[in-house]
Amino acid sequence: MTDVHILGVGMTRFGRHPDSDAADLGAEALLEAVADAGIDARAVEAAYCGHVFQGMVTGQRILAEVGLAGLPLTNVENACSSGATAIREASLAIRAGEHDVVAAIGTEHLTSSFKGALTPDPSDPEAAVGATMPGVYAMRARRYMEEFGMTREQLALIPVKNKANAARNPLAHFKTPITIEDVLESRPIADPLNLHDCSPVTDGAAAVIVMSDRALRKYGGDRAVRLAASALRSGSVDVEPVSMTFEPLTWATAQDAYERAGIGPGDVDLAEVHDCFSIAEVLRVEGLGLFEQGSYPAAVERGEADISGRLPINPSGGLIGKGHPLGGTGVAQVVEVVRQLRGEVGDRQIEGARVGVAHCRGGKAVGIEGAACTVQILVR
Amino acid sequence: MTGAETQTSFRPNELEVCPDGAGHLLGSRCGSCGAHFFPVREACAGCMGRDLETIRFSTTGTLYTFSIVRQSTPEFEVPYALGYVDFSEGVRIMGQITGCDFEDMRIGMSLALSLEPFGEDDEGNPLTGYRFQPCEVEGD
Repeated sequence: MTDVHILGVGMTRFGRHPDSDAADLGAEALLEAVADAGIDARAVEAAYCGHVFQGMVTGQRILAEVGLAGLPLTNVENACSSGATAIREASLAIRAGEHDVVAAIGTEHLTSSFKGALTPDPSDPEAAVGATMPGVYAMRARRYMEEFGMTREQLALIPVKNKANAARNPLAHFKTPITIEDVLESRPIADPLNLHDCSPVTDGAAAVIVMSDRALRKYGGDRAVRLAASALRSGSVDVEPVSMTFEPLTWATAQDAYERAGIGPGDVDLAEVHDCFSIAEVLRVEGLGLFEQGSYPAAVERGEADISGRLPINPSGGLIGKGHPLGGTGVAQVVEVVRQLRGEVGDRQIEGARVGVAHCRGGKAVGIEGAACTVQILVR
Repeated sequence: MTGAETQTSFRPNELEVCPDGAGHLLGSRCGSCGAHFFPVREACAGCMGRDLETIRFSTTGTLYTFSIVRQSTPEFEVPYALGYVDFSEGVRIMGQITGCDFEDMRIGMSLALSLEPFGEDDEGNPLTGYRFQPCEVEGD
């Protein structure tokens, strides 16, 4: 079976784009990815497009904008893992031998799609009693503080770190570093989480070009990064209540990915993880086995997760700093990891990075811990 | 709402409202392995058994965690307390918490099901939903 390689990556500026729509943004990202791969756009054989609130046939609108109509295109919805799932589907098409060059796109024009607090689908029993995503994560934060003694100040260090990283990322939504005091004094959203603990409402898109061994030989690939694993799981039903301070879904998906890639958490040089809220970063990195359960807040305090630290987490700024255009997020994480492994990110570069992880998860439904989770492992 | 009026559950599949105003949350019990689920399920996630019976959960539980929600969708007036409550059958159910000052809320406190007005249907008729209220622990 062929390996899967990422040769081209592209990403729009993340932020507010009042004069564009989701298809415009997706087209911009796709054209950049094609140019970055150094291929003719007509070499792309199939495409997958992840988005959440953008309506029917958004992917086809993107292809029409760039003149690539006619390809097999699949629109993918998996909540905040939609874009990451598009990459997985593209990789499966390569591994199956059906295609040699496939595009995966993620896009969202979120500022025109919704405002306020994101909620589960209105039909869900928890949404019916007032569940919001910030509320659910706030409850997890409170429980984590109770069980592991994490302080509110320690939790605030995560947005401080991620917005400092974002300030070094020209494509990030936020460009201004913040302090612990800024986090603690920002508007309360769902106690104990404040506005700075939350990822913003962001427009943006990202795209990657994945290809087979055969295509890589044809197009030449000393800039290629190998997609060593692209794992996907959906959340299992709780047979009895489980701890809300650990993520079995993240853990299980990561085990699938580590096994497929033949590497372990100790080999990882950097990770982009789904920090939709400050507490989420804690739960993600511990679920990935990158830090022991209960240890991450103190590790952040010691600087271990900084760009210059032992294991940098969210060097791009993460969802909190770079922004969170739902469908675009999972693809943008992979774009960051590819650029880090190629050594192309300027003053946020992690020296000597060879192995990167991108973790995404999204969605909530009653009785399951999470809806969709992806873990991708990239190796150079 | 007077006692003589018929109350309508906001979600009849999850909340049973009796004519006397009492009520229960509904779920499934697996006849094969005994696992309980909220809400009602088609098959048991534990053993994949299909002989599930719909049961009424007990009406008191323990607060697992909570938050004060200060930004929500337009249907909900903020702020409100939201929590996960563990029941002795082995299920954890989300609901709002009333009858308690926010600063007095504690993980581990005992809570009882409380049927309360909860929005309106499409024709403007009042609906009955549930929240949880602090209660004294019985026996234990």
